[in-house]
Amino acid sequence: MGVGIPHFGNVYIPVKAMAQRLGATDTDLIIPPSMTQKTLDLGVKYSPTEACLPYKLTLGSLIETCELGADILIQARGTGICRLGYYAKGQEQMLLDLGYNARFLTIDVSHHKFKSILQLIKDMTNNAPWPKIIAAFFFGISKLVALDKIERVVQKVRPVEWEKGMASRIYREAIKAIDEAAECKTVKRVSKEYIDKLNKVPKNDKAELIKVGIVGEIYVVIEPFANMDIEVELGKLGVEVERTMTLSRWVEYSLFLNYLGINEWRKVHKLARPYVDHDVGGDGWESVGEKVLYSRKGYDGVIHLAPFTCMPEIVAQNIMPSTREDIPVLAVICDEQLGKQGMLTRLEAFVDLLSFRRRRRNGARV
Amino acid sequence: MKTYLGIDVGSVTTKLALLDESNEILASTYLQTQGNPVDMIKQGLEEVKKQIPLEAEICGVATTGSGRALAGVMVSADLVKNEITAHAVAAMHCVPEVQTVFEIGGQDSKIIIIRDGVVIDFGMNSVCAAGTGSFLEHQAERLNIKIEDFGEYALRSKNPARIAGRCTVFAESDMIHKQQMGYPIDDIIYGLSQALVRNYLNNVALGKEIRPKLVFQGGVAFNKGIIKAINETFHTEVYVPPHNELMGAIGAAMLVREEMKNDGHRTKFKGFGVSQIEFQVSSFICKACPNLCEISQISANGKVLARWGGRCDMWERVEK
Repeated sequence: MGVGIPHFGNVYIPVKAMAQRLGATDTDLIIPPSMTQKTLDLGVKYSPTEACLPYKLTLGSLIETCELGADILIQARGTGICRLGYYAKGQEQMLLDLGYNARFLTIDVSHHKFKSILQLIKDMTNNAPWPKIIAAFFFGISKLVALDKIERVVQKVRPVEWEKGMASRIYREAIKAIDEAAECKTVKRVSKEYIDKLNKVPKNDKAELIKVGIVGEIYVVIEPFANMDIEVELGKLGVEVERTMTLSRWVEYSLFLNYLGINEWRKVHKLARPYVDHDVGGDGWESVGEKVLYSRKGYDGVIHLAPFTCMPEIVAQNIMPSTREDIPVLAVICDEQLGKQGMLTRLEAFVDLLSFRRRRRNGARV
Repeated sequence: MKTYLGIDVGSVTTKLALLDESNEILASTYLQTQGNPVDMIKQGLEEVKKQIPLEAEICGVATTGSGRALAGVMVSADLVKNEITAHAVAAMHCVPEVQTVFEIGGQDSKIIIIRDGVVIDFGMNSVCAAGTGSFLEHQAERLNIKIEDFGEYALRSKNPARIAGRCTVFAESDMIHKQQMGYPIDDIIYGLSQALVRNYLNNVALGKEIRPKLVFQGGVAFNKGIIKAINETFHTEVYVPPHNELMGAIGAAMLVREEMKNDGHRTKFKGFGVSQIEFQVSSFICKACPNLCEISQISANGKVLARWGGRCDMWERVEK
């Protein structure tokens, strides 16, 4: 029996950590290979054309894990969010048609998330004692939190580093080190070590720093393969990016604070309320609210990432221009047809626009 | 005399413009790229060289357009700039009160929204090539007329045919249908022009607030039929600058002048001798991971000058 998960940012690291703590061997958990063109090609080949990029990529990734011997697959499920609710069913059928004998275990991401995840772990470990499960769970989460913390520093260093690519290289090393850490203590130490290392990277302090917030659908925002490494490319153009949407934040709020009646997006929803006062599915409502948020925070611009054919994000995209907050928004529609050159041209032009605006605001003649 | 060279390598045409300090055009060329940018850049440099006054000294070179990276490496440009910024800068110089720029080139079309001399928004066609120069050229060929005469035919039309403009494929089949029904060629051509303007509005200009003054530039701005269709749609006079086809190159030259002024650097330009160098352009598939990226490289005299096209930076670093 091998358990497989679709690739999604750094999610495989905490999952692996939890599995190892619960005594799983290498054959028990199949780590999905990093996303490549091959993953995308597989996903595109076996998906309906009008399915969105996250569907195609996760399907491709699941096929790759099946190839490596996985026969139990974990996927998200939910109600009323977006097509994500049906991913598992559609993909299960497709894998069956392709001849993989895989069973799907799903995590309910719309209700009872915390319970759903813990129950899933309990089921898979043949009723391991709760304390052991909880300890393993928190060990995994500590890695997730550490990774997101390091990433935030990387996002700040990338635009100002002297030698381009240095921060990304250190970040890759950090991911590896966190992945290999066997103790909570080691995770803490490694995380601190790499943050120090990143802070010591020679920087160009004089650089005019443009700040951009990244909003949009969670999968294309978090998985760099889906957005063509947009954060790295913006870093090369001297832009500091921030995204509120991180996995550790999702875990922190959805799993714990929700139970205390704190909604992770309450503040963002409140900001969006003058323009859209209810959930439009997916992350559409949040996208609108975050546009307002970044405008209030004094950011120069917002980049809105949306999968092609994603209804919630299309709703958000059409609401955004009418908001009172005057902050430029660049919509980038992600799908398998997106050409990197075309995207880079738009990013470059967008960054020029932002820096002209900034100079104009500072009183200089353009 | 200090001069600045802008090179705009587009999908269909290659444009060069040499500007002096007061933005006077001293030399320019307009060539068909014909899928061979390297030779066209060399030929363009040759032609500019013939036109330049003796006392001109080149103090900065910038490249733009879809072939900007390649051109930038070939001539050692001081600035490699995207075409949207270049076009906006040139339009603002020609028409200071401009608020909207339509730019329709060989394979892409753009809209640039300007308020108070600052670009505030832009759009670029992403999924459809309807309305671009290549499509018009193809249809002109099918109707057996020269693209240069396209506008004349359109202007003669009294009752333009209604042609679907949602998508090039449908536009073409609809056009064939109208031809078979016996519509006069003038009406078909003007109908097509209207369809393309509608397509542009629904795709590129969707959701953008279009305010006068409108500036129309790029190769398609030569087409009187399209100009008439735009004027009718917006009930206004669209302004076509005198060097509409060179605007990208002019904007690039203006940008590099600012850049050199700010930095006080000396130009990296290799000189017109570039046109004598043999460049080799090749591509290969990197097999280091399953991404199988297509890497292109340009080399001269057996030395690799630059590589690009990979998802990672593995091939991008080249020993100087």
